[in-house]
Amino acid sequence: MSGSLTLLKEKHIRYIESLDTKKHNFEYWLTEHLRLNGIYWGLTALCVLDSPETFVKEEVISFVLSCWDDKYGAFAPFPRHDAHLLTTLSAVQILATYDALDVLGKDRKVRLISFIRGNQLEDGSFQGDRFGEVDTRFVYTALSALSILGELTSEVVDPAVDFVLKCYNFDGGFGLCPNAESHAAQAFTCLGALAIANKLDMLSDDQLEEIGWWLCERQLPEGGLNGRPSKLPDVCYSWWVLSSLAIIGRLDWINYEKLTEFILKCQDEKKGGISDRPENEVDVFHTVFGVAGLSLMGYDNLVPIDPIYCMPKSVTSKFKKYPYK
Amino acid sequence: MRDEKIYSIEALKKTSELLKKNPEFNAIWNYRRDIIASLASELEIPFWDKELVFVMMLLKDYPKVYWIWNHRLWVLKHYPTSSPKVWQTELAVVNKLLEQDARNYHGWHYRRIVVGNIESITNKSLDKEEFEYTTIKINNNISNYSAWHQRVQIISRMFQKGEVGNQKEYIRTEISYIINAMFTDAEDQSVWFYIKWFIKNDIVCKTLDEQEYLKMLKDLRENILLINNDEIEFSGKQNIWCLKILLVLEDILEEKEALTERSSEQYLVQLIDADPLRKNRYLHLLEQHK
Ligand SMILES: [Zn+2]
Repeated sequence: MSGSLTLLKEKHIRYIESLDTKKHNFEYWLTEHLRLNGIYWGLTALCVLDSPETFVKEEVISFVLSCWDDKYGAFAPFPRHDAHLLTTLSAVQILATYDALDVLGKDRKVRLISFIRGNQLEDGSFQGDRFGEVDTRFVYTALSALSILGELTSEVVDPAVDFVLKCYNFDGGFGLCPNAESHAAQAFTCLGALAIANKLDMLSDDQLEEIGWWLCERQLPEGGLNGRPSKLPDVCYSWWVLSSLAIIGRLDWINYEKLTEFILKCQDEKKGGISDRPENEVDVFHTVFGVAGLSLMGYDNLVPIDPIYCMPKSVTSKFKKYPYK
Repeated sequence: MRDEKIYSIEALKKTSELLKKNPEFNAIWNYRRDIIASLASELEIPFWDKELVFVMMLLKDYPKVYWIWNHRLWVLKHYPTSSPKVWQTELAVVNKLLEQDARNYHGWHYRRIVVGNIESITNKSLDKEEFEYTTIKINNNISNYSAWHQRVQIISRMFQKGEVGNQKEYIRTEISYIINAMFTDAEDQSVWFYIKWFIKNDIVCKTLDEQEYLKMLKDLRENILLINNDEIEFSGKQNIWCLKILLVLEDILEEKEALTERSSEQYLVQLIDADPLRKNRYLHLLEQHK
């Protein structure tokens, strides 16, 4: 059975396409708060599957612009919702993927940058919005968005890097803030932030060994990866763990074959899409991280994805590298 | 209503209804906070208590939704009096939550925030109590990595703040606790990650003198070898975590020039076979050991 598993590309493309048409039900309202993120996940999955034209570019761009929150000067997940760093990054990623950052115009771009910078706190961390939640996820979000816009500055980067390094733990993992338990998603956000800031050299060789060790111990006998010790495997960790390993140059410290098999087992063979674990309900979040993980492992000529930005390499190769000349 | 900037009790009730249906709707939480903030001067303590009850009710159904935890913290931050009592209640809340889900990531994060607040209001350290709490949690389930993690944080802090009377004694007790845990469940990686930290960290290295430190490492090695031999006898297989930590021990002993016989290469070759998922890491280490 396992030998015959293959990636059902066409089904996944149709699944992602279908998400956009289910517009008028209660379930759809329930996920409004994730809509812009959802479009980024869908578009990125389509790019990896080499089918970006499945979404109508003009429609997507005009939806992104309709999510602009003029009061706070950044992007909300849905029209008339509130701006947040997470959704702002999604908006910037979508526009960059379409090579359409110009549609922001000078005015919006200036406000956007000041929204992001304005959420940085004194210790270098970022809050997600004005209500003060701090998490290394937001450091990554802020640095990634500014980097895509080509607007990083040492005033922002240096304290952010200090903060990220404080989230490094004794076990080789990273937590959501200093003293918090290591979590694979935080490894990605912290290493990603350091990579964007071009500051991976702040980690010693010993630390890199420890980080690689903690990460590769996420693989379980069934092949899937978990996010923390003694937890269940989950397809999204294929991304958080693999991208982290890729960033520190140790991608092959886990077993590709077993992980590939685990991801492929999480496919819905009828309607397409990938779930967190075999037999569970699929969603676009696990679909993108499943195919992105496969792409990192070089599976079946998938379009190469950038482990730092989680966007196609063909897009990220055009970003200005920090520090700017 | 939000767009018209209506900040009334009536509007607040509306947000309750919406949030019960969809607690992930962040914009509604934001609106709710704006309403509360604008009415704050008229709101008495019972209102704030009721708000905490409302949040609790949602948390019971959705313990993993970030936005609800955020809102709870926001409410507590704006609670009109800063008596320890309200935070003590939070500690009871988080105790209960961690009883139901002993690994809840937000739960432990929240616990650290709550304890920090109680400490700063009462100006009294809770390190001893929190240390005991991790012991209870680990004794309940030795694979509770969140509790082991917390134990590292607290021990580090206690030594840093000079809260430990007899430091050497403390370390000896901890070592026997670890060895005990190791024998209880040698398969689980939680205790091994803890051991890896324990034998390499500054607190232990600086508290013990060179002789004591080396003796501790050698004792530990004996015990690990014992566990591994038991395992070989019992199942015919090596215990992979025993091998992984033996490697760490040998590296330290070698650095201290206290290693008589080196087995690292052999361990690595065995690991390639016994832990094939991580084969490439062992090949990499073999390369380094040459
Ligand atoms: Zn997941």
